[in-house]
Amino acid sequence: MEKIQSIVNEIYEIFKDYNVSKSEIEKRLKLLIFEFKVPEDEAKRTIINGLRRDLNLSREALRFPLTKIADLEPGKGVSVKAKVIQLWEPTSQSIAQWGVIGDETGTARFVIWAKSAKRKVEEGKNYIFERVFVDEFGGIKSIKVTSISEVREIEEDIEVSENWGEIEITGALVSISQNSGLVQVCKICGKVIEAGICKEHGKVEWNEVLRLRGVIDDGERTYDVEMEENCIKELTGLDLRTAKKMAFEHLDRGIVLLELKKKLLGRYLKISGDLKFRTVNVKKAEFFKTKVREEVDKVLEEVKAL
Amino acid sequence: MRTRREVARRVFAKEFNSSRYKLGGNAEKEPVYVLTPLGLKCNRIFIIGALIEKEETKPDSEVLRIRIADPTGSFLGFVGKFDPEAKVSLTEIDIPSTVAVTAKARLLERGGRVIPFIRPETINLSDFESRDYWILETAKATMKRIEMMKGDSELARLAREKYNPNLEEYKEMVVSALMRLKEEVEISEEREESIEESIEEEILDLNDLF
Ligand SMILES: [Zn+2]
Repeated sequence: MEKIQSIVNEIYEIFKDYNVSKSEIEKRLKLLIFEFKVPEDEAKRTIINGLRRDLNLSREALRFPLTKIADLEPGKGVSVKAKVIQLWEPTSQSIAQWGVIGDETGTARFVIWAKSAKRKVEEGKNYIFERVFVDEFGGIKSIKVTSISEVREIEEDIEVSENWGEIEITGALVSISQNSGLVQVCKICGKVIEAGICKEHGKVEWNEVLRLRGVIDDGERTYDVEMEENCIKELTGLDLRTAKKMAFEHLDRGIVLLELKKKLLGRYLKISGDLKFRTVNVKKAEFFKTKVREEVDKVLEEVKAL
Repeated sequence: MRTRREVARRVFAKEFNSSRYKLGGNAEKEPVYVLTPLGLKCNRIFIIGALIEKEETKPDSEVLRIRIADPTGSFLGFVGKFDPEAKVSLTEIDIPSTVAVTAKARLLERGGRVIPFIRPETINLSDFESRDYWILETAKATMKRIEMMKGDSELARLAREKYNPNLEEYKEMVVSALMRLKEEVEISEEREESIEESIEEEILDLNDLF
């Protein structure tokens, strides 16, 4: 019986992502071994082939096992069921599409090479990426879609994990939204309220907070960013207490937003924080400094080599 | 899903000012893009340069004409009542000043002529350090486009068909922009010294008075 169990587990490992139960495998295996007296090896092969046919999977698909994003290992060939959550503009003509995919276990980057000639994927839709290869750059996993891969849209709506992991960005703060500065937010949902009224919760109790909602743009992509008091203070020296004082002295909260715009709009910032969909919850922010003079010579060399 | 915000592209004035063709704007809500000679498709741009002109187009028109210079040329811009934020900031900024500008890229068509211009959304005071980084960043972005123009992407083909640009000319533009950056680093330091000197002179003059 132990032998039977280990074969069941072996087969289950291959098909576990395709909704095959252990009891079903066990039933088929016992039938073949005990009733039809088929040798164990033959029984195992028969069941694997049978399941493969039932599930409409190619032999190759099994060599590229369906894998959750959290379990992706660099260098391996896999298949991944995921939602496309972000598409980025291709920066090279050898890339047809790239961006971020996610499933309930995490997120990863994906690259569809132009040579693979695949149909375009769309943001917000769900796909199975079959026969793709896993890569890793700077701790971020990515899958590569090549000409041997298959990308098919699927019905299933994949839930995406909330936590996308840390991200670091350098770019210009090109926009600060009007609901930034010294604002009153609903105690229940944290959204900005107007005249004591929350759009969702009606007349509510509120907190007064200092915050910033804006857009960082690196010339190739944009990121919505959310900054709270600590980061704002780090950058501008302004904290909630001084903001309140300013607003009180000017009899206008708008003065705080103006001050943030004056000090931060158009500035290059280096930020890090948690990425969630398009939004970065900023944990650390600083003005970006670089040694331009040192870099100029390097770039000059590159231009001349063009 | 809300519409995607347009990325603010980095482009030098010389490349932008050579643009003559538009893309998009066919379907409702489809954004209009300016197609530059190096195949950049831009709806929004981000510039850090010198504000060198700020004038009312006509008396009482409430529309200001501005110019923002980078090492390759200058961007012509118009700021009207539809861009209140940019207009308010402009009133507080003197000429010349280093400014950071996020703007919509547009083409003006008048009597058979096509003039590229910008409509600033935000204008803020900036500094030499950020400006230098912008030049570096824009040089890199331009280089990428020169490289792209040698390939066969849709935009490269379109730009070749419309402009047939001399890539060497743009390479020289990038080189000279970067060279300017090298000299300007030195000049700006000299300038600081001379300002200090003149302040000292003033102090001396004041001392003479007492
Ligand atoms: Zn609420």
